[in-house]
Amino acid sequence: MNLEDYRTVFAVTSLALVLVAAFPTLSLVVPFPRSAERFSELWVLGPNHMAEDYPFNVRVGEEYRVFVGVGNHMGSSAYYTVYVKLRNQTQPLPNATESMPSPLLPLYELRAFVLDGESWEAPLAFEFLEVSRFENSCLVHRVMINDVVFSVDSPSTRDSENNGFYYQLFFELWLYNVTSQSFRFHNRFVGIWLNVTAS
Amino acid sequence: MSNLRLLLILLVLSAFMSPPFILRTHASSQVVAAPAVSRAEEVLASAYEAVLEAEGAGANVSALVARLSEAGELLAQAQVSYRLEDFDGAARFADLCGEIGEEVKVEAHGLRDQAVLEAGQRFRWTMIGSIVGVVAILCLSLLGWRAFKRRYYGRLLEMRPEVGSDES
Repeated sequence: MNLEDYRTVFAVTSLALVLVAAFPTLSLVVPFPRSAERFSELWVLGPNHMAEDYPFNVRVGEEYRVFVGVGNHMGSSAYYTVYVKLRNQTQPLPNATESMPSPLLPLYELRAFVLDGESWEAPLAFEFLEVSRFENSCLVHRVMINDVVFSVDSPSTRDSENNGFYYQLFFELWLYNVTSQSFRFHNRFVGIWLNVTAS
Repeated sequence: MSNLRLLLILLVLSAFMSPPFILRTHASSQVVAAPAVSRAEEVLASAYEAVLEAEGAGANVSALVARLSEAGELLAQAQVSYRLEDFDGAARFADLCGEIGEEVKVEAHGLRDQAVLEAGQRFRWTMIGSIVGVVAILCLSLLGWRAFKRRYYGRLLEMRPEVGSDES
């Protein structure tokens, strides 16, 4: 190696060390893009806090319990509303393709503020209080969710294929948007099917 | 006389129990509850925005988020009560939510200001450290290069070929 080569080695090493010394300041000034995808999770767990033993054949007058959870990966703290809705087999679910919520009115709602990277969970107890049964139809008059009674008057016809009167208790996730200063459907929903059996 | 008084009392009581009176009371409760709930919504949203600002400034907001969740539960109860036409309950829950929201907002602003101050100081010290580091590296490199060059030339001179005698 001649002197020119040594000079290049010296210059490159010095430049690298200068960058190392300047990095703490550069990291505060230059915004480094985050590569992580931003999303939220919504889940329902059974009474034992596991993804099993979900209530299915429900009896009138008996209380059932599930857990609703939300996970935040949005890059900052988030403000969520979870709407609890009840539908029969013919009533509409949210439209995931068009990011549209179900037009059904919510019965109950839960609100949560979740730190980035954290999750939140809440218990939800429900009970069918008053149900009228006919030969091939069923009418749910009142349900109770977390000790609050709701009049629903939701009819259902017998599903002959699956032999039962089916309802779906489902949960929609809405996220508060700071720019529009309102909640927007976050295109996440999850539900459990319930077969309302005789008491 | 006593019969007349009894009749009067019954008349007054029946007036209070009459549907228009009950409906008016109901409506007045609704008039109180509706703005209380929407005010609580606004307060909680602005408290959340304040917490986001504090978080963006680098403050630890976990305690504030926990309190916001507490207020959020109350607001959810207020909304559910309102939908079930329990207007007194809705107003009560909304007021409680509003109180917590206001407290959180004030605390979040304080935390944000403190975080901004600390971030400014941190930035200043980091910048001073970087400048000192860069200058030190440049000076040491320059000195090192000079020393190296001197040694290199010294070696080169030592390696100069000597003139040998050509006697045979």
